[in-house]
Amino acid sequence: MSEIITSNLFLKFLEENNFSTITGVPCSYFKDLLMYLDKEYDQKKIKHILATREDEAVGIASGVAFTNRKAIVYLQNSGLGNIGDALTSLAQLYKLPMLLLISYRGLLPDKDFPEHSIMGEVTEDFLRALKTPYWILEYETWQETMKEAIYTMEKLQSPVALLVKKGVLSL
Amino acid sequence: MKGYEVIEKIKGYINERDMIVSSTGNISREVFHILDQPQVYLRGSLGLQISVGLGIAIEEKKRKVLVILGDGSLLMGMGSIITSSYYKPSNLKILILDNAKYFTTGGQKTVSSAINFTKFLGSLEASFKISKNASEESINQDLTKFINSKGFSILHLKIESGKKALSNITWHPEEITKRIKKKII
Repeated sequence: MSEIITSNLFLKFLEENNFSTITGVPCSYFKDLLMYLDKEYDQKKIKHILATREDEAVGIASGVAFTNRKAIVYLQNSGLGNIGDALTSLAQLYKLPMLLLISYRGLLPDKDFPEHSIMGEVTEDFLRALKTPYWILEYETWQETMKEAIYTMEKLQSPVALLVKKGVLSL
Repeated sequence: MKGYEVIEKIKGYINERDMIVSSTGNISREVFHILDQPQVYLRGSLGLQISVGLGIAIEEKKRKVLVILGDGSLLMGMGSIITSSYYKPSNLKILILDNAKYFTTGGQKTVSSAINFTKFLGSLEASFKISKNASEESINQDLTKFINSKGFSILHLKIESGKKALSNITWHPEEITKRIKKKII
């Protein structure tokens, strides 16, 4: 079994890249990270805001971006279906950069979860249709991938996405 | 009172540091033409105005953030008034202008009349939460208490439908963002 990205290192990396806020709707693929955030992490560095829907989280991150700061939004790919308008008529239209951390459900490990199967098949097409650049996050190369994603996000002044498969951020 | 008449009254209660987030359609247009510029005029994303205001409020704690939205937008993003009440940033003020209609798209009905706003707002964690009809006699007093409240506050006003003939917002959204970022620095 390959290793997982340590929550502590992941949040440190976000701190070093000047993220001020993390917000979103949970996925079991992020369980360790979210547990660490609430139990051990000093939220004076990065604030954690719970959202009721994925588009609300994109709205909060948009507000953060209006103030020249940066937010990261976590969501399941099922929630991608909820953020189309938040991206196209708010974050992309107003040039508000943010990092979307999206769990990639509906692949082989989710074969017993049919609720994820259709979105799992179309996730990458969906992101391409929404003109949102994306990368697949992997343990071995996560820092380089995130650097590239953040560089692109700053250059485009627009949201970019990281797809997270099972076992990358949480067992 | 009509929505734009309430917005005209707001003039006396905000200063140049304050930030207004206005909702899709007529409300953004009215805020653009009637109040000091620049403000965060949202054109699309119905339902997300409160979340944008919350995002600004948690980052800019020393600045008052006033979200002005209609009942259609409130209903579409109902979760956000709950999220705001959970975090209750003391600088966040939410003004709901309720004509029970999607007025910008032609006056179709909304379902807002099913809510007893006094009870609903009463159940939320906010230091000021009032629901009433907008009236010339009490509007100044209501706005004073609402905007100058020391904590997170919500004012729900029932208004009459009606709009001024105003031209569209002349700034492209990218320009709105540039001007807001400049205002923040």
